[in-house]
Amino acid sequence: MAARARSARQQQIEQLLLAPINWIEERSGLVSATKRFLFRKVPRDVSWAQTLGSATLTAFLVQLATGVILAMYYRPDPATAYASIQHITNDLTWGWLVRGMHRWGASVFIILMFLHLGRVFLFGAYRYPRELNWLIGVLILVLSLLEGFTGYLLPWDQTSYWATVVGININGTAPILGPFIADFLKGGAEIGTETLARFYSLHMLLIPGGLIALIGLHLYLVTRLGVVSPPWSKEAAGRERDEVETRKRGLVEPRPRGNANRNGSDQA
Amino acid sequence: MSTSRKREEFARYKADVKNEGKSFFPYAVFHDAVMSLVVVGVIIGLASIWYFTSGEEPGDAGILGPRYTDEADPSSIGFVPRPDWYFFFLFYLLRIFKWPESVILGTVGIPTIALVLLLAVPFIDRGRERRLLRRPVAVVASLLVIASLGILTWKGATAKEGAIGAEAAIPGWIERGNLVEGAEGVIATDPALAGVSPEQAGQLVLEGAELFAQSACLDCHLFQGAGSENLGAPDLTEEGLRGRGVQWQIDHLRDPQSTTPGSLMPSFGSLSEEQLRALSVFLESAR
Ligand code: HEC
Ligand code: HEM
Repeated sequence: MAARARSARQQQIEQLLLAPINWIEERSGLVSATKRFLFRKVPRDVSWAQTLGSATLTAFLVQLATGVILAMYYRPDPATAYASIQHITNDLTWGWLVRGMHRWGASVFIILMFLHLGRVFLFGAYRYPRELNWLIGVLILVLSLLEGFTGYLLPWDQTSYWATVVGININGTAPILGPFIADFLKGGAEIGTETLARFYSLHMLLIPGGLIALIGLHLYLVTRLGVVSPPWSKEAAGRERDEVETRKRGLVEPRPRGNANRNGSDQA
Repeated sequence: MSTSRKREEFARYKADVKNEGKSFFPYAVFHDAVMSLVVVGVIIGLASIWYFTSGEEPGDAGILGPRYTDEADPSSIGFVPRPDWYFFFLFYLLRIFKWPESVILGTVGIPTIALVLLLAVPFIDRGRERRLLRRPVAVVASLLVIASLGILTWKGATAKEGAIGAEAAIPGWIERGNLVEGAEGVIATDPALAGVSPEQAGQLVLEGAELFAQSACLDCHLFQGAGSENLGAPDLTEEGLRGRGVQWQIDHLRDPQSTTPGSLMPSFGSLSEEQLRALSVFLESAR
């Protein structure tokens, strides 16, 4: 009797806890979508080399988080930028850590991205149907280098200033669009207030926005298409089979391919 | 490979993953999480080494460089233009090409070609074989790319900076280049120097040479074998032979792009009129 009462109460509590989740699910489908994402199948032989993509993502998230904090204390004006950088580094509690992580995280991010690109190349993972994701990846790479270029000016010290002078001049040598880009980046005759404001806006709004969108698309395609098995694997998903094995599997598991394409676009 | 074969193979891949695959959570997520922790740890480690081995003074470098250099000063001239390390390979590429014929190859040509090739990878390589031993072209190509990026980055990182200690070389320059005599000739013939007496030749050359040695000129230019070659800048040992004239030199120094469209040289407009003239006499006397 008592046991049954407790379980009734338990059920009530359970329902109370689940209520908000069900409420969201009913109105958005987000809960089941998350479940589908988390409990989707990946090839059983994925290797450590295939963690490089999510490692890159982690480095990018570190840049976002530290960047947001830096933006609270950084003053994007030639009169104050340098002093605010010194203040962040030397005076602010944990400021050195935030700036140091942002500064060195940028390098780690770029290195990881190249390593990830290398592993995708060596695995031949850019082939059908993943060509589009490779193209998106190259765009991400270019945008990331631009992010590095625009961020380099912000400390407003001699190194960053003169590297940017030369960088903008180099931009100007490109045919047709080059001079326009150079003029736009400078924002005036000299590299000064306008330039810094432009670089700041590009560095913390436009380029990160583009990167977030492209990374979202990249990850969407990764989940939709799946990641390839390592090329050396004996049990690679999608491997060629001889007739006998295929038939045997067909007997044990009827219609093994049925429905498998739910997520694929390639059903002729 | 035909389209239908490709589709078949991908359908087989999807079926295999469905039947034999493991769940993303927690199996793959576990590996990803371990790797991500390592990444964050490395970043914190680098930040700490950078901070704790460096000092508050501008330019007080630790193991990983200074916290900052001096505040940006558009009117200063003794700078070293240096990008962040992941642009070193581009930076060094520009040393290989010479102004003006081929610099555009380094600034635009090669990077564009590399980018187009990178974008085209999936459309160039249309086979299905993924094992490395059976993809010799891909393996050789990637080794070549890695080697050249590595070498260019390394060369860019260790490139010697030209300006350090250059002032000691000034007397040698003047003697070897016969610069005072050269300057007398310039003063006698150049319309921009009307009213300057030939006696001032030695004085002007010395002043110009000092400015030349103190400013960043030698970070990009060679002069009598000293300095370095950056961004395709020309050797200035015989600059006077080009027949530019003093006024042209002054205009070029003040705004390089006004006389040489597309120039990568920064402006030295913050120098005074007299300084620019002395520098120009020095350059014109080098013949
Ligand atoms: C950041 C690199 C850089 C620095 C620093 C630099 N230059 Fe140049 N310089 C160049 C480049 C690139 C060219 C070729 C394009 C041009 O002619 O403007 C050049 C060209 C020249 C020329 C040749 C002009 C001609 O066509 O006859 C002279 C003279 C010259 N520089 C003088 C100087 C002097 C003097 C200084 C120091 C006050 C200096 N440069 C500093 C990059 C540099
Ligand atoms: C911000 C930068 C990037 C992030 C966050 C990122 C993230 C990821 C992740 C998490 C994966 C799945 C796991 C893995 O394979 O490691 C992946 C796969 C992939 N990435 Fe990236 N990536 C980035 C840049 C790039 C670049 C520069 C390229 C190539 C030019 C690229 C091409 C690909 C391709 C083709 C796949 C599919 C691999 C497969 O199916 O095995 N990515 N990416």
